This record gives sequence, structure tokens and C-alpha cells, in this order.
Amino acid sequence: MASEMRSIGKPTPRIDARERVTGQARYTGDVQLPGMLYARVLRSPYPHARIVRIDVSKAKAMPGVHAILTKENCRIQWSSGDSRNKRLLFNDPVRFVGDAVAAVAASDRHTAEEALQQIVMEYEELPFVLDMEQALAPGAPEIHPGGNLSPNNEGERAPETDQRGDVERGFAEADQVFEDVYISKHHNNAQMEPRVSVAQWEGSRLTVWASTQGISNCRRDLAKDLGLPLNQVRVICQYMGGGFGNKNQCHDFDLMASALAKETGRPVKLEFTRAEDFVAVHGRWPTKQYYKVGVKKDGSLTAIRMKAYSGMGPYRKGSGGVAGAQLYRCPNVKTEVYPVYTNMAVSANYRAPSYPQGVFGIESLMDHIAHTLGINPLDFRLKNMTEKYHDEVPYSSYGLRDCVTRGAEALGWRQKWHPPASDRGAQKQGVGMAMGYFGAGLGMSSAVLKLNPDGSLQVHVAVTDIGTAAKTTMGLLGAEAMEIPFERVSVLSGDTDRAPYSVGESGSRTTNYTGYAVVTAAEDLKRQLRELAAQSWSVAADAVQYSQGAVYMQDRPDRRTAIAEILKGNPDGLIAQATTDPKLKGVSRNSFAAHFVELEVDTETGDIRILKYVAAHDSGRILNPLTAGSQVKGGVAQGVSMALREELLYDQMTGIPLNPGYYGARIVTHGDVPDVEVIFVETADPYGPYGAKSVGEPPIVPSVAAIANAVFNATGIRIKELPITRSKILDAAPGVRLEGGRA
Amino acid sequence: MKSFVNVNPKSLDEAVAVLDRARAQGKKAALAGGGSDLLGMLKDHLVQPDLVVNLKSISGLEGVHREGERVRIGALTTLDEIARHPLLVERYAALAQAAGLAASPQIRNVGTLGGNVNQRPWCHYFRQGFPCFKNGGKMCYAVAGENQFHALFGGGPAFIVHPSDTAPALVALEAEFKVMGPSGAKIIPAEKYFILPREDVLRENVLGENEILAEVILPAAPSGLRSTYLKIRDRQAWDHAIVSIGAALEWEGGRCRKARLVLGGVAPIPWRVPNAERLLEGKSLGEALARQVAEAALAGAQPLAKNGYKVPLAKATVRRAVLSLLPAA
Repeated sequence: MASEMRSIGKPTPRIDARERVTGQARYTGDVQLPGMLYARVLRSPYPHARIVRIDVSKAKAMPGVHAILTKENCRIQWSSGDSRNKRLLFNDPVRFVGDAVAAVAASDRHTAEEALQQIVMEYEELPFVLDMEQALAPGAPEIHPGGNLSPNNEGERAPETDQRGDVERGFAEADQVFEDVYISKHHNNAQMEPRVSVAQWEGSRLTVWASTQGISNCRRDLAKDLGLPLNQVRVICQYMGGGFGNKNQCHDFDLMASALAKETGRPVKLEFTRAEDFVAVHGRWPTKQYYKVGVKKDGSLTAIRMKAYSGMGPYRKGSGGVAGAQLYRCPNVKTEVYPVYTNMAVSANYRAPSYPQGVFGIESLMDHIAHTLGINPLDFRLKNMTEKYHDEVPYSSYGLRDCVTRGAEALGWRQKWHPPASDRGAQKQGVGMAMGYFGAGLGMSSAVLKLNPDGSLQVHVAVTDIGTAAKTTMGLLGAEAMEIPFERVSVLSGDTDRAPYSVGESGSRTTNYTGYAVVTAAEDLKRQLRELAAQSWSVAADAVQYSQGAVYMQDRPDRRTAIAEILKGNPDGLIAQATTDPKLKGVSRNSFAAHFVELEVDTETGDIRILKYVAAHDSGRILNPLTAGSQVKGGVAQGVSMALREELLYDQMTGIPLNPGYYGARIVTHGDVPDVEVIFVETADPYGPYGAKSVGEPPIVPSVAAIANAVFNATGIRIKELPITRSKILDAAPGVRLEGGRA
Repeated sequence: MKSFVNVNPKSLDEAVAVLDRARAQGKKAALAGGGSDLLGMLKDHLVQPDLVVNLKSISGLEGVHREGERVRIGALTTLDEIARHPLLVERYAALAQAAGLAASPQIRNVGTLGGNVNQRPWCHYFRQGFPCFKNGGKMCYAVAGENQFHALFGGGPAFIVHPSDTAPALVALEAEFKVMGPSGAKIIPAEKYFILPREDVLRENVLGENEILAEVILPAAPSGLRSTYLKIRDRQAWDHAIVSIGAALEWEGGRCRKARLVLGGVAPIPWRVPNAERLLEGKSLGEALARQVAEAALAGAQPLAKNGYKVPLAKATVRRAVLSLLPAA
């Protein structure tokens, strides 16, 4: 099949690269409408407080101020802002520093901002709690009635539990039992484009230019929260500047802009500052993971137990999951995760939401176990790695073992691995590895394809392209399925008025969901073409074949009739629509990865320099090696940043975040990111279009753990709390002898 | 940001007069050089001036000029120009290196020497608008808070560290600052320019409200002078020094005639370490002496709860800097 591929598998530049780099692309922030007002949001300076008095009279009297919303005149519920509790646009009590308390629309941004200063908002401070375990302790301030353990999907106050076998029996059978604690921190998605929304009413019809990962869901949520029929809401996002999971669904700023536009009768633009973006939306949930693992002398696992806490902030927007244990074959596994309310910034989806922090924990611990047992960490993984989901369900396609072996070879693992802290002198080199997996299933999306009479193809899909090159992928799939050149395909996307439902770009599933619909609709177009030809030739439809933009009688492949000829006299061309909902049958579907790092730690300065980075990925068949490779490199950059730098620091006394923004959070720059050698282990997945699996989220999954393990191999220092800062290295360094080996 | 009046003076005298008048009227004025930091502080409401005096409208404040064996650098000279200037790179390496390691390429293109020297602190508490000493309040939140980036020396009542990269280099090179005020120009040695919080917690230097830093003067580079600026930072661009050192050593016959070692990132001012300098003077340098110098430089450090790592870090930085200045054999 591969030899027949025309568009797929070739490195193809993004369909809109020119528009993006020349400034022609119109992002949401670029939208300017006649009479448009500008909005700004006032936010709580307290982590937990009751509002006792609001006076907007002075602000309202300012020239240029058109409308002010507070809890007193706006009771709109932001339903996707909390899946457990009723979260309004403006809440009382406020539950974190940055919780919105008022929004102002004014003739310009500065007037709006000055008006915020004139709003009187008096608070009665309440006790607050930032730490997840303290939030569950008796007597902790209750953030919502009923306590700080967030209810599960069934509404029960119980941890999310996953169990197979009997861990106690497993520990009894073990020769050695390891217990350890790993900690990860809240850090922000830090996408380039800040949050922005422009809302305009025309009569009873609302149009919102959003910066969203999913226009269909954004429209659904807006209609729901504003009480509008779906046909009265249009959401547009032609170009978007990234989100990494924090622009799913509709957001409070979409609702605020819509409400202010309604109130004023004018279009309203609401754009967040970078600092607001860091504290007021959401980042990755922090975790504290307690592990207990039983092993036999030969290194085989008898039991894995994990009890973990996830800090969700005061509103439940994400699962709080802690993934990782599934990487290992083990008969007895029990994981319990407690999603906890705190008065920190909200935590929810950030690229592979549950994974990199959990994999940091389990892969650090497995590395430690291998080291303690005197087994090379590579061999330990080859012995214990998962081969079936939960040791029983086969994977739809499986390339993890090849990722591990090929990645190890590319790094030179067998030559470079040495016992920890072997290097003499202050600069110590080491290698580390970690495995990763990511579960993205299949699901429902739609596509409409229009085949024009000249044979060119329009693909109508509701994708927004958050940086994954999804528009390009949809075009490639259309071209491949129709067997026509990619240049003959245009993609019409990012507008709910001209595209059918798409699940949205989250969960690494656009190719699997929407792409599948594109391919299915193309099959329908080809059927229609064959039928048209059969009618005009007065033959049975199954006697007609289609290939490469032409039809022909099965027995006369040399006499081809082009699409344009078939569609002559058919001015509208052909339209096909597909809504697919394929189901997995008896298999589990995962993408896999293994990352290998060689780095140098300067034990006198704490500097960590990555010398070589190999990322081996099984994402099924790679539809576009150029953009898929970019996904891997971007994920590694975020992994490096998460491993070594990022943490939203809080002042413990006041509950105020200290370092929001690119500077304060010390997010890595180009100069800090290594060259990444990308290896694709191409398995042919029977479910994805042309064998594809997910590639968007997996690249960040093993990165953090691989770096942490390399730091251990270099120095003998096992850092169990992210990020691996200079101070942690230097605080531990006195225990490292410069001659090599631990003191 | 709060509305303000922009003033475009044509001369330093006019600018000083504007400042003087503002002060007399009880108005707040801010000086804008490159503006790269000022603009952010305006937007964050950290400074709310009634007028902004735009120094770019004054000609003659830019450029690197030789004057005999001395070098005069206008306060509006960009960091990028300083980093690339052949004379500075050759004779005053510490300054050129410091300018080249400051901030990011974009900021170095517009950011000026004067702005870098006079930069306000980057303490998270100050920049987040906490009512701390530096913001006119009554406490230093870092003392019991997140103090991993704070001072080892000279702290109290505020524990900020001076954020400038060029300042330690200029103190090490014995530069002088030419300051214009209502009574004309005065020359202040770089070392005397910076002041500790205990002298005035609202300022980091002696510059008065009606004064302008106009020029930096580098003395003749003595024979045998070798200098460097070594900066420890968390990322390769856009980061202030966790710890840094401006080091200038004069060599004669294989021995150090004179040493100037000035630490950055450890104190509210560029922190000179005379005891460490004296250990070098009259000696030839080897690994053992470099370690003694590093120990001496950090003697008396008073770490807070979370910045103890800066002590070994600064020792390593001192040792490496002085060893890098060994004269060619």
C-alpha cells in the first residue's frame, strides 16, 4: 500500500505557512470591527474571600465606559469552567488570586483599564489553602461545600481508582519493596497567542471570533450558557496561535465578550494580558505521587501501588489523572488518585494532561529500582515493558519495543551508559531514558467534501489548527483519498457556518476523528463519480473504476475519462458528507514513545547541558513527516522546560502567584532547547486513516523522566521534585565526590 | 497605564530643568532611554509618572568615544553597540561581555547602558506590586517567602539583588559616572554610585529626582589589564544573573599587581570583595589560590532560607573567573 501513496508520507509544508509568516493570516486578535469596544477584567487579589460591597458608580461615570458586569448584574454560568459545581462568570466567594470579579467595556483598552481602578470591591478575607494534602486535612478551609476532595464522575467523594490483581499478595511475593514520593508542579501551557475573543450581535444572532481549539464545542457551550438555539451562534477561528489544551471548549472570556456586546449593542474585544493568561485560565495540575513497588531478585515486578494527589485549583476543569503505571507489565496494580480543590490557579488540560508528571514518577522509580538491583535501566525496561494493555488487551498496533531498541541504538546507550557519577571532575556526563504512551481512541466527527466540476476539491471541516498542521493533514487526506494532487485541494475550516461538527483539537484525535471522516466522504465522492459514469455509459456501477482523478471501464483502463468530463453539465459538482464513529474491537489503541538523553551536569554551578536527544515514536503511519517531526521537537522543548525550569511560585503567606509570564516562569528559549533526533517507528494501525495514530501529545510524555534519569546517571543525584533546578542540584552536590561516585 | 505627558527636551540642561520643575510642583517624572523596562513598569502600574522625559530627543547621548586614553560612553548607547564595539571588546572585555549577556537580543537592540545601570529590581514581589519596601511599603516579603533569588550580602531592610549586568563590570573597571543636575555636572565613581537599602530603601543609586546619568567614563586601561564578566543564568537569553562577577586583574611579570572583583546577583548593589582582591595582589595565580580567593569572596555571606545554593555557586564563579584571567604565559 505504501508504494501507492501519493500525498501521504511526503514532507509537506503547511498549507497556510506563507500566510502565517507574512502576517496575512488574520488571528482573532487582529479582528477589528466598526464601533468595537475593548474590555478588561478585574480580578480578585485574594485567594479566598467573600465580596461584601461593590460600587461601580465612579467607574461607570467615566467618559468612554460603556458597560460594567459584576456578579450583581450578570449571573451567567460558565458550564465548561467546572464540571462539578456551578461556576459563574463572576463568583462569590472568590476562590483564587485571579478569579474574575468584574468586566468593563470601554471605547479603548486604556480607558477600560483605568475604569477597573475605579471599581470599589470590598472583600472579607477567608482562610485559604494551597497545598493539596493540607486541603484534605481535617479543619482545612472548605473551598466548596462538602469538602476539598473533588467528586468523581458518579458524584462520590472517592478517589479515582484503577485496580487489577491483589497488590498485597504482590508485595508478599516480592523479594524487595521500594517506596518513594515524586512531586510535580503547576506550570502554564504558555502558548504564544494570549486569550482573546471578539463578540458581535446582529439581531438575535451572535458571532464570536474566538481563539479556540474547537469551534464546534465552543458554539455548543456558548449556546448552552447564553440560552440560545444553536443556529443563532456562529464561532469563527481561522488561525489560532496555540493552546496546548487550555483553549478547549468555550471560555469565560468568550462569554464575557458576548455579554458585554449584548449589553452595549456594540462589538466587544476582550484580550487577556500574558500575566492573566498565566494565572486566570489554567495550567498543568501539580501532583504528589506515593509509590510502593514490589520486585523479584531477577527484576520482574510483583506489585505496583500508587496513591496520588492532584491539585485542581478551586474549579474542576480537568480529570486530575496521574498516568504512567500502565507502562509496566505487572500482575498486581492499584492506583488511586485524589483530585483536590485548592486556592491555587485552576489546573486542567495541558498537552497529555495526566502523563508527563506521572511518567516522571514511575520512570524515575523504575530507574532507581534498576540501579539498586544492578540491572542496566535499558534491560530492565526491555524485560518489564508493557506489551498488552493491562497485560491482557492487545494493542491495535504496537511499536514500543522498537522505539526502545532503535532509540537506544541511535543514542549509543550501550557505549555511553555507565554507573552513576562515573565522571571525575565537576562536569559529569550521563545518559537517561524513559518510555511513554498515550491513549487516544477514536470517535465522532464530520466532514463535507465538495468536488468541483473542474476536479478541484474543497474540504469543509471544523478544525482550527492549533499548530499541529491539522489543516494541512486534512488536505493531504483528501488528496490521498481522491488520488489527486495536494495542490488541487483547498481546506475550508474554522467557521461553524461553513463546516460540520468536529470534535475539536484536543486529545490528539483530529487526524483520527475528522481525518477519518474526510477519507470516508472521499470514498462516497468516488462512488458517486462511478455511478454518474455508469449511468452515462449505461453500464452497471460496479463495472466502473476510479483512479487518479478519472473513471474508466474495468476492462479498458487505458480509456480514462477525467472528473471534469464526467461533471460537465453539473455546475455544482458533487457533495459528500460523512460522519464516522468507528469503534475499537477487542483492542486498545495507544501511541508509544521512548526518549533517550545524554547530558552534562556541572556540579559546581548546577548547569545542565543536553548534548544529545533522541526521540523515538510509534504514532502509526506518519502522514506528514515534516509536521509530525515538528510536533515531536515542540513536545521535547516543553518537556525540557517542565523538567528543568517551570513552576508557578506562590507566596505562601498571601496566596499570590509570583512569577506569571514568560520571563518569570523562565520558560526555555531557543538557546536552551537541544537538537532532537526524531525516529518514527511506523506501525500500520488498522483503525486510523492510512494507518495513522496520534502524534500531538505523546512527545512531552517521556521527556521529563528521561532528563531526570540522565541527571541521576551523570551525578548520582535523584531529584524527586520538579523542576530540577540549579538550587536542587547544588544543595545535593556536596554529597557527590568530584572523583566520581557518591560520597 | 495611567495617562502621562511626554516631554521631548532638546538638551540635558532642558531635561534637568523639566525634572527640577516637576519636583518643585510635586509631580512625578520618569526618564525614558530605550524604554524597554519603563514601558512594562508603566503598564504594570509599578511607576505612575505624571510626565515621561524622553531622552532620545537629546542629541549626543549616544556612542563610544575615545578621549586620549580614556573612553566615554553616552548613557543612551545601546547594549548591543557596547557588546560589539572593538575597542571595548579588546580593552574593557568585562563591559562588552556584560552588555552582550544582558537580557535578550531584542532588548539589547533598544536597551541602553544608562537604563541597564539604573534598572529597578526584578524581585518577584516588587514586580508583582506587593506593598514591599521597594514599592513604598513596610516589609520585605522575601524574608519569609520565596527568596531563592535574593541577597547573600548587604540585605536589609530589603533583600533585593541589583539586576544590572553592566554595573559589576563598570565597578570592576573603575568607571566613573557623569551625572547632570541643576548645578551642572558631577563625576561619581561607579562604586560610590550604588547604595544599599539601609541608606535609602526606595532607590538603588544616588541619582536624585532632578538628575540624569549622562555618561560613563572608563579610565585608561592599564598595561597588563585583563577583565571578564561571567554570568550564571537559567536560560540562554532573557535572564538576569543568578550570580555573576565582573573581574579585572592587572598583571606584571606573572604576578597580579591589582585586582578588582565585583559580584552581581548576590547583593542590592554590585558587591565588591576587597578581602578576596587582596589575596590576589602580589601573587602568581594557581588553582589553590583561586579557591582561597573564592572562599574569601563569600566569607560572611548570610543566606536566607532558599538561596544557600548561591554560596557554592558564587565560589565556583569567582574561581573560574579569576582563573580565566591568567596572563598568557
